[in-house]
Amino acid sequence: MSNNTALKEKYPPGDFGVWVIIYVELITFGLFFIGYAFSRRDNLEMFNNSQLMLNQTSGFINTFILITSSYFVAKGVQKMRSMTKENYESANKEASKWLKFAMACGVAFLFIKLSEFSHIFGQGITLSTNKFFMFYLLLTMFHFMHVFLGTIILFNIHQRTKVSGYTPEDYRGFESGASYWHMVDLLWIVLFPLVYIIR
Amino acid sequence: MKRIFEIVWVILVILTIFAYLLGYLKLISTSLVAVLIFTTFIKGALVSDYFMGLQNVNTKYRLIPIAWLILILSLISVAYYL
Repeated sequence: MSNNTALKEKYPPGDFGVWVIIYVELITFGLFFIGYAFSRRDNLEMFNNSQLMLNQTSGFINTFILITSSYFVAKGVQKMRSMTKENYESANKEASKWLKFAMACGVAFLFIKLSEFSHIFGQGITLSTNKFFMFYLLLTMFHFMHVFLGTIILFNIHQRTKVSGYTPEDYRGFESGASYWHMVDLLWIVLFPLVYIIR
Repeated sequence: MKRIFEIVWVILVILTIFAYLLGYLKLISTSLVAVLIFTTFIKGALVSDYFMGLQNVNTKYRLIPIAWLILILSLISVAYYL
């Protein structure tokens, strides 16, 4: 046990700044989640009836997509960590491949979410329809923006891997983007059962 | 463990299918909500420990997302059960 402790890294992977952002996001979404849970408690029937209008299958597919994209990103980071001065070009190339898969997942998530929003808005539902839809739209749209930003970040990292821009001494930018992406996944992991399943 | 990311991914997928089936087949009940919340904690902890890589980081940083999960999921449980 003491050996494990000695081997542990002092700080989380990536830049300090990205972790500040991650902690702030966790607090912000956490407050929304708690707000949703306690509002539901006071409006049980309305929340349960409104929830029936959501498409659980698209929520499930999106959860699967985000989990899988997180796996791809983790594989990319693993490649970065194992690279040496001798193989850094091939490591960048390999990581670039994993990022392509992850970005495809990000884009797929955005498309599925857009079709879900279009269906909801098509039924005349807005933020002011009721408290359930206010929380649903705020939470999922806010999360949507994070997936959008995360996909752009992955794209930027991918561009750098294409020119073998990461070296064994400097791949912190890669880790920062990856940590942000995993946070987006972590948030959805709580959001999906809370909003789509629990009743 | 060589295939740890693959193992974590499979567990995450299985727990997600479990959550989906509870909702889709309308099996969700008061007692199963507790199970669902617990599996959500497991999923979050796996992402934080293995995908984010916090398992190999100083314990205080590792515990921040875990503490967040415990706090949020506990309050969701309080709102559901009390």
